Amino acid sequence: MKNVKSRTKKSNIQKLIILAVLVVISAVVYMTFSINFTNPKFFAFSMKIRTPKLLAMLIAAFAIGGASIVFQSIINNTIVTPCLLGMNALYTLIHTLTFFAFGSGSILAANSNLAFFLDLIIMIFTAGFIYGYLFRQTNYNVLYVLLIGTVLSSFFGSIQSTMVRVMDPNEYEVLLVSLVASFDNINSEILLFGVIILALLIFILRRDLALLDVITLGKDQAINLGVDYDRCIRRLLIGVTVCIAVATAMVGPISFLGLILANLSRQLLRTYRHTHLILGSALIGMMVLVAGQCVVEHVFSYTIPVSVFITIGGGVYFLYLLVRQKNR
Amino acid sequence: MNVQNLMKKYDGKAVVDSVSFEIPKGNVISLIGPNGAGKSTVMGMISRLIAKDAGTVRFEEKDLSRWKSRDLSKRLAILTQHNNVQMKLTVRELVAFGRFPYSGSRLTREDQAIIDQAIAYMELNEFEERFIDELSGGQRQRAYIAMVIAQDTDYVLLDEPTNNLDIYYATNMMKTVRRLCDELGKTVILVLHEINYAAFYSDYICAFRDGKIAKFGTVEEVITKETLSAIYRVDFEIMNIGGKPLTIYY
Repeated sequence: MKNVKSRTKKSNIQKLIILAVLVVISAVVYMTFSINFTNPKFFAFSMKIRTPKLLAMLIAAFAIGGASIVFQSIINNTIVTPCLLGMNALYTLIHTLTFFAFGSGSILAANSNLAFFLDLIIMIFTAGFIYGYLFRQTNYNVLYVLLIGTVLSSFFGSIQSTMVRVMDPNEYEVLLVSLVASFDNINSEILLFGVIILALLIFILRRDLALLDVITLGKDQAINLGVDYDRCIRRLLIGVTVCIAVATAMVGPISFLGLILANLSRQLLRTYRHTHLILGSALIGMMVLVAGQCVVEHVFSYTIPVSVFITIGGGVYFLYLLVRQKNR
Repeated sequence: MNVQNLMKKYDGKAVVDSVSFEIPKGNVISLIGPNGAGKSTVMGMISRLIAKDAGTVRFEEKDLSRWKSRDLSKRLAILTQHNNVQMKLTVRELVAFGRFPYSGSRLTREDQAIIDQAIAYMELNEFEERFIDELSGGQRQRAYIAMVIAQDTDYVLLDEPTNNLDIYYATNMMKTVRRLCDELGKTVILVLHEINYAAFYSDYICAFRDGKIAKFGTVEEVITKETLSAIYRVDFEIMNIGGKPLTIYY
């Protein structure tokens, strides 16, 4: 019987390797598609444009994919993701708020790393407060969390658009560039900073991440097995917030990506091991984003951004998941 | 385990009110009482799942709050009714979690042997690789008990283990409880709704009413017409079957 178990584990590792290979292939295709190798100047120019884009997509996919799995395990439900609860709307709001408060003439406008850092700090505190309080009050009841999250999401969005409306048009111009990051307009200045933050995050939370497997057994069982549940959840939630902030700052808000990635990873790997699930989710994300962007650039020649496909596909997938869960 | 003046309030209303008792080691102790009498809350507080408002719980001569959670999980196991796992988890993987307090996620060969024993003890061998969410209620409950066995604790706390089980599985569950005590030498404390299961399978019964202990004693002391009628406010008849007092209520 033990063979069966090691076989599923082995096949999961195989699946992960295949995914990794696919990611590498799409990355190579993305970097080299219809590129001019003969003229070194053209070549260098294309590389200069494509490299940061590729890196941003890989980092964002990792952050969103990983954070979604962690978040789902924390609240023990597979149809909720941090973005559905308005976390990226919150980030956009905070970013607008800091611009609004300090103005485009301040050092924040000139130094996007500093601005990002400030946003991050504010984000950690507000998200930690709002969502932590929310979860405790609703006792992790998914329906309430989802409902309140949807309300919050549009609430943050409304405040943000109100502020944008009363803003000085010049300020708005500057804000727009850094605010509506997208795959065609990535925030490449914070690439290095983002990587450092994510690496630090994983290092600090490594113990808590190892506890994720146990946490999915539910609060009572986790405590029974000796986990300091509340502390662990709090720390992981902060980690999720940081990941979402990094991804949103780099490539802008993409609502359904996390949902697709986390659930595809769960369906594909059918395991409870979070090391596998997180890796799977991140790799699928990298593949989807890079291959998608490749298609957008060369087939649709930039007419439709990749986030549109993700939102449409994700919306349909979300409905499918809801219906399937109801039938169970 | 010694409990003194345990207290819990929800919205200013005391659901558990100055409860004190001593758990005799190596026995099966059932907590019974009507709905809302506070038995599950007491269970939660003595197992650190619920924070107490006042009182002390001493476990093995040391205050419960001063135990490290990890150390406590090697001495005391609790199984509640809230066990819906969203993960794809096989029976064996679930049972393996019982070893988490000892080895984390890196299981040793000794752990594997203990897991094998626990699975065999609960006769789960044929389900070993099945996913938890594909099992029937009774089988799932057995898998959780196997996990508790793998956790290898002196004390086992079960919150309504017969809930939602049919007569066959419920009776088997109670027999298992008895075996945990008699064969494995564990102290089992359980919350029960069925008085007859409590009467037939426990050594001691602790009867609750309105957040207070109405009566704590051996089965014979608690299962009497007067005590039960006062606690449940219905008429009882006590019959003696196989040397055990069994109840009929109407």
